[in-house]
Amino acid sequence: MLNRDTLGALIFLAFFTAYAVFAWQIPLLPFEEMDAVNSASIPKVYAVLGLIFSLLALLAQAIKRQHSSGAGWPDINRRSIGQTAILLLLMWVYTALLEPIGFLLATSAFLSAGFFIMGERRWRVLLLASVPVVVVFWLIMTKLLGIYLVPGELWS
Amino acid sequence: MLDGILLGLSTALQWQNLLYVIAGCFVGTFIGMLPGLGPITAIALMIPITYSIDPSSGMILMAGVYYGAIFGGSTSSILINAPGVAGTVASSFDGYPLAKQGMAGKALAIAAWASFTGGTIGALLLMLAAPTLAKVSLSFQSADYVALMCLGLTAIAAFSNKGTFLKAMMMTVFGLTLSSVGIDPSSGTERFTFGNTDLLDGISFLLIAMSTFALAEALRNVLKPEVKQANSEQPMQIGSIRLSKAEVKEISPAIGRSSILGFIIGVLPGAGATIASFMAYAAERNLAPKALQEKFGKGALRGLAAPESANNAACTGSFVPLLTLGIPGSGTTAIMLGALIAYGIQPGPMLMQDNPDVFWAVIISMYLGNIVLLILNLPLIPYLARVLIMPKAILTMMILFFSLIGVYLVSFNTFDLFMMIGFALIALILRLLAFPMAPLLLGFILGDMIESNFRRAMMTSDGSLSIFWDKPLTLGIMLLAIVVLAMPLLSFLRLRKTVM
Repeated sequence: MLNRDTLGALIFLAFFTAYAVFAWQIPLLPFEEMDAVNSASIPKVYAVLGLIFSLLALLAQAIKRQHSSGAGWPDINRRSIGQTAILLLLMWVYTALLEPIGFLLATSAFLSAGFFIMGERRWRVLLLASVPVVVVFWLIMTKLLGIYLVPGELWS
Repeated sequence: MLDGILLGLSTALQWQNLLYVIAGCFVGTFIGMLPGLGPITAIALMIPITYSIDPSSGMILMAGVYYGAIFGGSTSSILINAPGVAGTVASSFDGYPLAKQGMAGKALAIAAWASFTGGTIGALLLMLAAPTLAKVSLSFQSADYVALMCLGLTAIAAFSNKGTFLKAMMMTVFGLTLSSVGIDPSSGTERFTFGNTDLLDGISFLLIAMSTFALAEALRNVLKPEVKQANSEQPMQIGSIRLSKAEVKEISPAIGRSSILGFIIGVLPGAGATIASFMAYAAERNLAPKALQEKFGKGALRGLAAPESANNAACTGSFVPLLTLGIPGSGTTAIMLGALIAYGIQPGPMLMQDNPDVFWAVIISMYLGNIVLLILNLPLIPYLARVLIMPKAILTMMILFFSLIGVYLVSFNTFDLFMMIGFALIALILRLLAFPMAPLLLGFILGDMIESNFRRAMMTSDGSLSIFWDKPLTLGIMLLAIVVLAMPLLSFLRLRKTVM
C-alpha cells in the first residue's frame, strides 16, 4: 500500500508534469523568440526543478521502503472527515449565495449552519452567536468605515 | 541613525499607532494562544484591515500581532502543553512542568520577562545592523538578488523539519509555479490563465496566505483535533507572577546569551524562531552545572527563559533581511513582504531612503510591542487564558468567516473565494501528507522578484549566465546556496549507499 510520502511525491510529479506541458505551450510574441529569457523560460525552469525534486522524493521512498514502511497515515475518524467535507461545501454555498441574497442573510445562515455542523444544538446559542455578530460587523463596515457590503441582487 | 530613531519614535508614538500596537498585541496574543494557530494566520487575518490604513500604521499593527502571537503561543505551551506555534515548542519542555507544579504564574512571568529582554536586545541589534546592511546592500545588483533569493529559498527548505527537505523543496517550487500565473509583466503574454479573465492579474498573495494558513489550519483542527483543549470545568490556577531576586539572578545570564544567539540565528534566512529556541535550550542545558542539567525538562527556570528570549530575538532578527534586502527569511516575514508590496512599498536597500517612516516605525514598534506585552498582557493573562476554553464550534466558524470575508473585502470578486476554497482543500491534503506550508508562501512571494531580477541580470549580461559567477559576491552567495541545497541531498545519497 502507498504510504503518504509516496502519495505526496506522486501528486507533485503529476502536477509538475502537467505544468511542464503547459509551460512548453506558452505562446511567445514575435519579438520574444530571439530573447535569451522569454515568458516561457522561467516556468520551464520551475517545471524541470519540480520534476527533479518529485522524482528524487519518489526515489528516496523506494530506498526507504526497503528499510521501513515509511510514514503512516494519520488517524482520522469518519465523523471528522464528514464534518470537514460539509464545512467545505458550506463555504462553497456561502460564496455562491453571498451576492444574490446579500451579506446579512448569507452570513447569518452560514454561521448558524456552521455552528450546527460543528455540534452546537442549542437554538439560542446558534442564533445569538451568529445574527448579532453579523449585524455588528455589517454596521461597523458600512456605517463606520464606509465599506460597501453587497445588499443582495435579488432584493435590490 | 539618531534622526531615524526620532522619526520612528514620532511615528510610532502617534496615538492611533499606539492603539494599533496595543490592539495588535492583544489580537495576536488571543490568536496565538489558540492551539494550532500561529503568527502567520494571525497576520493573514489582519491584512484586510491594514489595507484601509497607511503603510506605517499597517506595519505597526502587524508587528504587534507578530509579537502577540509568539507570546500567546508561549502561554498555551505553558498552560496546556499545546504550543500554538513551532517557535514555542521548546518553551513547553520546562514551562508546562512548572505549571503542573502550581507555578504557572511564575512560568508566564519568566516567559514575559525573557521575551521582553530578548525583544529589547534584538531591537537594539536590529537598530545597529539594519542601517549598516542597508548601506552595504545598495551596491547589490540584480544577479546578487537572484543569488540571495535562491539562498533564501534553499535555506528555508534545508532548515525545515528533519526528513522533509524534499517535501519543502517541492512546496517551494509549487509556490514559484503559482506565482507564474497571469500576465507576464515584461511581455504581456498570458501564462496559465486558461482563458479565464479573473486569472489575468495572477493569484493574490492574500488569497494564498488565507487559504493555506487560516482556512487550512482551522479545517485541519476539525479533521484531526490533536491539540488539547483546556478543561472548562476546572478553573485555571495561575498563581503568583512575582519572581524572587535569586530567580532573577539565575535566569539573567541565560536570557542575555540566548538573546544574542537568537538574533544571529534569526538573521540567517530560513532559520527563524524555532531553530533559535531549540539551539538556545540545548546550549543552556550544556552550559548548566551537572545538577541543574538533570532538572531540564522537569521545570528548570533557565530551560524556559532561554528559548523564550531566543525566539523573540530571532523574530526581531528575521526583520534584518526583510528590511535591508527585501528578502524574507521566514513565512511570517514573507507575509509581511507581501503586505508591503501590496502597499506599493518595495522593501530593500532603498526602503530606508524612500520610506524612512516605515523603516524606523517598524523597528520602534517592535520595542513598543514588547513593552505592551509586559505591562498590559502579563497581568491580563488569567483573563486572556479564558480563550483556551472557547467552544471550538464558535472559534472555527469565526476563522472561516473572517478569512472568506477578508479576501472578499479586498477583491469584491466571488471567483477569488471559490479559488480560496479550492486552495484550502489542497493545503489541507498537503498538511495531512506532512508537507510544510511556509516554503510555499515564500516561493510564491519571491517568484515574481526572482523572475524580474533574473531577466534584468540577463539583459545586462547580454544573455550570458556568467553574470552569476563573474563577481565574487554573486559567486559566493550562489556557492552558499548550492552548499545548503547539497547538504540534505548528500545525506540522501549516503543513505542510498548504505542501503545498496
